Amino acid sequence: MDISRYHRQYLFNKIGEAGQRKLVESRITIIGCGALGTILVNTLARAGVGFIRIVDRDFIELNNLQRQVLFDENDIKENLPKAIAADRKIKQINSSIQIESIVSDVNYTNIERWVQDVDLVLDGTDNFETRFLINDACVKAKKPWIYGAVIGSHGLTMTIIPNETPCLRCVFESAPPPELTPTCDTAGIIATASAVIASLEATEAIKLLTGNAKEINRSLYSYDVWTRETKSFKLEGLREATDCPTCKRQAFQFLTGDSAPKTTTLCGRNAVQITRPDRIKLDFKELAGRFEKTGEVKFNPFMFQAKIDGYEFSIFPDGRAIIKGTNDPAQAKTIYSKYIGV
Amino acid sequence: MIYLDNAATSFPKPKRVYDRMNQFLREEAANPGRSGHRLSVAAEAQIVQARSVLAKFFGAPEPERIIFTLNCTDSLNIAIKGVLRDGDHAITTVLEHNSVLRPLNALEIAKRITVTKIRPNAEGFIDPKDIKKAFRKNTKLIAMTHASNVVGAVQPILEIGRCVREAGLLLLVDAAQTAGVVPIDVERDFIDLLAFPGHKSLYGPTGTCGLYVSHRAKLIPWREGGTGFDSESQTQPEVFPFLLEGGTPNSVGIVGLREGVEFIVQEGISKIQTHERRLVKALREGLLGVSGLKLYGTEDVARSAAPVSFVVEGIEPQELSLVLDQSFQIASRAGLHCAPLMHEALGTFPQGSVRLSPGYFNTLDEIEQAVRAVRQIQSQMAVS
Repeated sequence: MDISRYHRQYLFNKIGEAGQRKLVESRITIIGCGALGTILVNTLARAGVGFIRIVDRDFIELNNLQRQVLFDENDIKENLPKAIAADRKIKQINSSIQIESIVSDVNYTNIERWVQDVDLVLDGTDNFETRFLINDACVKAKKPWIYGAVIGSHGLTMTIIPNETPCLRCVFESAPPPELTPTCDTAGIIATASAVIASLEATEAIKLLTGNAKEINRSLYSYDVWTRETKSFKLEGLREATDCPTCKRQAFQFLTGDSAPKTTTLCGRNAVQITRPDRIKLDFKELAGRFEKTGEVKFNPFMFQAKIDGYEFSIFPDGRAIIKGTNDPAQAKTIYSKYIGV
Repeated sequence: MIYLDNAATSFPKPKRVYDRMNQFLREEAANPGRSGHRLSVAAEAQIVQARSVLAKFFGAPEPERIIFTLNCTDSLNIAIKGVLRDGDHAITTVLEHNSVLRPLNALEIAKRITVTKIRPNAEGFIDPKDIKKAFRKNTKLIAMTHASNVVGAVQPILEIGRCVREAGLLLLVDAAQTAGVVPIDVERDFIDLLAFPGHKSLYGPTGTCGLYVSHRAKLIPWREGGTGFDSESQTQPEVFPFLLEGGTPNSVGIVGLREGVEFIVQEGISKIQTHERRLVKALREGLLGVSGLKLYGTEDVARSAAPVSFVVEGIEPQELSLVLDQSFQIASRAGLHCAPLMHEALGTFPQGSVRLSPGYFNTLDEIEQAVRAVRQIQSQMAVS
């Protein structure tokens, strides 16, 4: 195979021709094709990763273009799903690699299918629930994966090699409560932050796929593009010190469906009810603080109501919600994780 | 948790139902009647006994005319699609659940039958005269519910049955909300086809239901298969219950259902009905005192089954129901209750109503707590 188009890349001595050939034969799955995902796909397709699978359930919206580099106004006019628009762009960028794009919700019924036949999984998601799913599926299938998360000007990333490094649940045993979890849609995001974190993820991917696994970053790395504050949390010994349900006990609770939010479409109402698997206690006042910037809010002891972007939310103290304005459960889940967080 | 969703399925079940199913599944659950070994024979005997208990319960003279089905929807489909032929006319009501409406609508849309839908009065009752007026030369079937699953109004089935029988037509009764709490006698009430769920007021588990089929109804089976009987025949045996019972029956569920019915017989159906009426009366009276609350159905509790429906001005039914669960641990059901035409008739379409449906195991104290909860929610939410 002619690899000359990657010449400037394999000229870099850590990669070399042998490394480039490994990259061309590599297979990866990128879960989520938004701020992080588009940069991951773009970078790794150009770098010559031989097979890239993209999984994303969302359609492109105008407020995505500020940071989601592969998309343009025309894609919105065509009402394209992100995975399809990315597929089209990548085919123009590098026709020598294979792209598989899947428009789907990622959940416990399908994640294992998308993990088992690749060498590496990359996190381009925006919520903890899906990350724990990726973590369970990758640890179970013994596939490395790279975590990445961004909010505001700040981001986190970490490389996970099952049975070798700590996994995501060694670090975060459970998702933080929603009122403490700002999302891009409530706290905002600047594009440079996602560009940095995605670039770091992509670099880790290149290391792993070119035979440079020894040189991966073994810490939980935190960077703020605004303050330039850098933190590197050392994780050595953590795997040994914790009784991690995923990588120690091999329990894979997220793959059973017990931890998945349940959705019910409400007959005739163009509304979906979402029930969280965990019992939480929401603080409506704090929630109101988050929503006030983006929409109209009111609440009483029993229920919190907000109107945002054409959707009406009725949120209850244990995190259950009725979302009006859609009868598609996958879309309702997207909206829930966007504004409330899981 | 105060469980007031018995119209969807009864909960809890009598203890003897759990005990018997546990014992049967552990010690006796061979495939009934398929093999000659003693376990299979004994399991078959259990099903025959359950059939007999149900036949007696509904006044059916021949137990083999009680068919075990997958659920009440299955019973209604077997009956509706089994008796109607191209060119027939069927009469139904606006009260119906989708399990009656959808099979009829599908046949009508396919231009195979015509359907007339009778409207109830403001309290939710069908006038037998309206049914009679709808009879046509080609009318074959009157398919209707015994009691509205939205407002609870118990229909004058005996009067309707009499005029249907006089006209030589067939009456299919959906007893989803009444079987086990309102006495039913298929002979006395002129019922030709009776669909009953095992998991509601008969206290069986879900997945147990039945259909009574009189000799007057000639059904074509749509589910064909193994019966453990007459295997040499190329087609389904004509003999009841095998004609309509292809496939291994839900024996574990059926022995549970039998225990549920035995429980009713032991307690006495009138005692159960009296208790449920008392609960419905207290619930209705209590709810009437809540400001901004609109209550549907009839004040005459003697003509009402358990479902009690209402809306509160300024609060969406789904939200009220969620708050009842969330903040008061009360299980209710909001929405259309799969009866869209009834909600259109009530003027509650498409938001529906909140439905509270007490059962035999609820207490007056629980009803009072539910009323207090609704009042408190109304006072705090309706104004905001």
